[in-house]
Amino acid sequence: MTIEVDPRRARPFPFVVAWALLLLLFGVSLWTAFLGLGLWAPVIQFGIAAIQVATVFILFMRLKGPPSLKWLFAVSGFFWLLFLYGLTMTDYSNRKGWPPAVPVSSSQQVHPPGS
Amino acid sequence: MSVTTVERAAPRETPSPEPSYLTAEHTVGSWLLTRDHKRIALLFFASITFFFFVGGIAATLMRLNLATPQGLLQPSVYNRMFTMHGIIMVWFFLIPSIPTTFGNFFIPLMIGARDLAFPRVNLGSWYVFNLSGLVVLYSLVMGGADTGWTFYTPLSASYANGYVFAAAMAVFINGFSSIMTSLNFIVTIHRLRAPGMTWLRLPLFVWGIYAVSVVMLTATPVLAMDTLLLAVERFIGVGLFDPTRGGDPILWQHMFWFYSHPAVYIMILPAMGVVSEIIPCYARRPIFGYVGMVLALMAIAILSFFVWAHHMFVAGISIYAGVFFSLTTFFVAVPSAIKVFNWTVSLHKGSIVFDAPMLYSLGFVLLFTVGGVTGLMLATLAIDVGVHGTYFVIAHFHYIMVGATVSAYFAALHYWWPKITGRLYPESWARFAAILTYVGFNLTFFPQFILGYLGMPRRSYTYPVEWQSWNVLSSAGASILAVAYALPLLYLGWSLIWGRKAGPNPWGATGLEWTTPSPPPDHNFSSTPTVVHEPYLYDPEKATFVSQEGTRHAG
Amino acid sequence: MPDRGARLLEVQYANLAHQGETAELGIWAFLINETIFFGALIFTYYFYRLTYPHDFALAARDTVLWCGSVNLAILVTSSLTMVLGINAAAQGERTKMIRWLVATCALGFAFMLVKGYEYYLDFQDQVVPAVNYVAKSGEGPAGELFWVFYWVATGLHAIHLMTGVGLVLYMLLWRIRRGEITPVYYTPLEVVGVYWSFVDVVWLFLFPSIYLVGRS
Repeated sequence: MTIEVDPRRARPFPFVVAWALLLLLFGVSLWTAFLGLGLWAPVIQFGIAAIQVATVFILFMRLKGPPSLKWLFAVSGFFWLLFLYGLTMTDYSNRKGWPPAVPVSSSQQVHPPGS
Repeated sequence: MSVTTVERAAPRETPSPEPSYLTAEHTVGSWLLTRDHKRIALLFFASITFFFFVGGIAATLMRLNLATPQGLLQPSVYNRMFTMHGIIMVWFFLIPSIPTTFGNFFIPLMIGARDLAFPRVNLGSWYVFNLSGLVVLYSLVMGGADTGWTFYTPLSASYANGYVFAAAMAVFINGFSSIMTSLNFIVTIHRLRAPGMTWLRLPLFVWGIYAVSVVMLTATPVLAMDTLLLAVERFIGVGLFDPTRGGDPILWQHMFWFYSHPAVYIMILPAMGVVSEIIPCYARRPIFGYVGMVLALMAIAILSFFVWAHHMFVAGISIYAGVFFSLTTFFVAVPSAIKVFNWTVSLHKGSIVFDAPMLYSLGFVLLFTVGGVTGLMLATLAIDVGVHGTYFVIAHFHYIMVGATVSAYFAALHYWWPKITGRLYPESWARFAAILTYVGFNLTFFPQFILGYLGMPRRSYTYPVEWQSWNVLSSAGASILAVAYALPLLYLGWSLIWGRKAGPNPWGATGLEWTTPSPPPDHNFSSTPTVVHEPYLYDPEKATFVSQEGTRHAG
Repeated sequence: MPDRGARLLEVQYANLAHQGETAELGIWAFLINETIFFGALIFTYYFYRLTYPHDFALAARDTVLWCGSVNLAILVTSSLTMVLGINAAAQGERTKMIRWLVATCALGFAFMLVKGYEYYLDFQDQVVPAVNYVAKSGEGPAGELFWVFYWVATGLHAIHLMTGVGLVLYMLLWRIRRGEITPVYYTPLEVVGVYWSFVDVVWLFLFPSIYLVGRS
């Protein structure tokens, strides 16, 4: 029986490049933490993480191979999370007093958000 | 594609020496370690029937208590009763009911496959379910939780006396059983359909199971995380959802209902699928608007994720969020209504047979309509402010969960009984039980709409004496309902030994499952069938029907 | 080889390719569940971080950045070794496959070692809620909430990682030893590989959430 080797699996080079890219992006993310970007920092870091995750999905987890339905399953989880995030925030985003304006210090009684 | 009239003799399954799935192997191990989806379905059937009785006993005690204002139980015991009734009925009976029994048994048969995609995951799901059952029984036996099945914080996390941690962990573990089952169904329906079984030729029961599996797979993990965090808070004593320590109890409710609202659709979608199988068969007509029914099922599944905060209108969410969720709740009623219209129109010019499955299904349509319309009333903010937390809500959801879903469960049980067991049940007894169910159900739950309107709060062991007559009616109805539910046990059990043997297709139905012997052999089909037709090709005028693999039959 | 293939083919599948692709779809379906499970946790975390930005920033300064970073590098490398192992399986290079899988296991253990040491340091820093917790000066009660998330998130991740290591060991000691992983059918290894890389993905999201807060 002839062994049919998947050509994408024959050479390690693309995977090593992906690995290097992941570490490089990690370095960038680490660097952004020290730049004093305030509220933008988590946004940028998540963006970098998203690129890293896409790399892992497509290259390491062979998302493009058969069956082609895999990609739909891969994004569905994230898509569904948007429902949770978005619709929950329809509540908090227009409640008075959330987020609380005053930073809580150890001497103060903590007030529940939204009161 | 034109309907080919292949006139040949009805396929007689030649009395093959091949044993059925029931008799293929006899050891205990062959049952407990089976990979056969049909045997696993029966294993699940045993488990959920057991829990139905446990939950039912709790309900009996509750209704006995509520027959008089003085009551029967200590208040703290009553609180544990309604909590355990809710937890057990929701997670240990209703959510698994149709998918793990009839779904497991019939999905492979209906799509022309020999088993589900992952048989060992299927068996694993049963074991995980039983593990969660042991934990919930432990919680029950040790005294139970008293927080209500909704486990609201901070009562559940910080203040409740009771076995909240065990109950929450039982629910957490139970979720994984759901996830394993739903994952199996989704992949099976995508990948194991027989040649010619295109998506738009699938029976509506298969679509119902597919829709419910999508909801189970995507909603359950949020509940898993929510109950896990609750358990952490309870066990360790940190303030994740405790307002005195910076936590937000409303956030707990948001995540709880993000799952639990789709959960109620988990409970109804398979029931809708069952009724869509039975009505065409017993009216001898195709279903009206097949594509509309498919779209409605999928629309309900998706839209169910956008409505959850209608459980929280008076919890303290922002008024604009209340308006938004009220609007989305009105939208989700639309596909449900389309389905009710289609079921009704499917009866028109039919040749209706009033056997038990049809009686239960007709009862389903009526009771679901009442439940659905009262749901719209609850979606209306102004009304909800008045009746939230009253018996109006209880009546609404029991009309759907018990009136609709349990009726559909019994409809399925009777419809598929010959296929599963190879025996016919006594029809007169079954008709009587169906009608008794309908009478008992309405007597139990309609007075509760009135009580809720009058202001009787839920989760209360007592009430002002002027409401006693309605409560007595409700408790009397409950005793009739109990008899109606016990009857099938008796005559179905009788039929196992003394019932007439059933042929492959006693009702003259068109699905692939009816082309196999009753009961089916181990691997369902000796060779994979080829599908040439859409389902429900019943012709009431010519009194014939065409099954999905192409043979025309009389009947 | 054909005999072994026939033995692995389950009755509901037409052929091994059908079975293999279906198994891959199955693990991705399972990952939908895992994504939403961790996603709900991360959502709750960011919700509280938005509510109490000052306390979270203060509390997070005590996270051990070098441990988190080394662990990220370890996990990313382990994904590479896992993929190289699967490639070797696809080409029938048994020895190479075993070596890469053993390397993956070793990296998994290394992660646990670093994590264990980090937990030890955390205990020394007194940031274990309800067990050994002392708020830093200027930090309100909400700081403890950060640490609850830290322990729950990293704890859950560690459990998933140990499951992954268990699965790789199962492949090595059971399936590969019995010769059931061949170029004709190596899907079980691919399925484990997908799960393993997903554990990596979770850490890629957890790392900036936990370790890069309040560093400037």
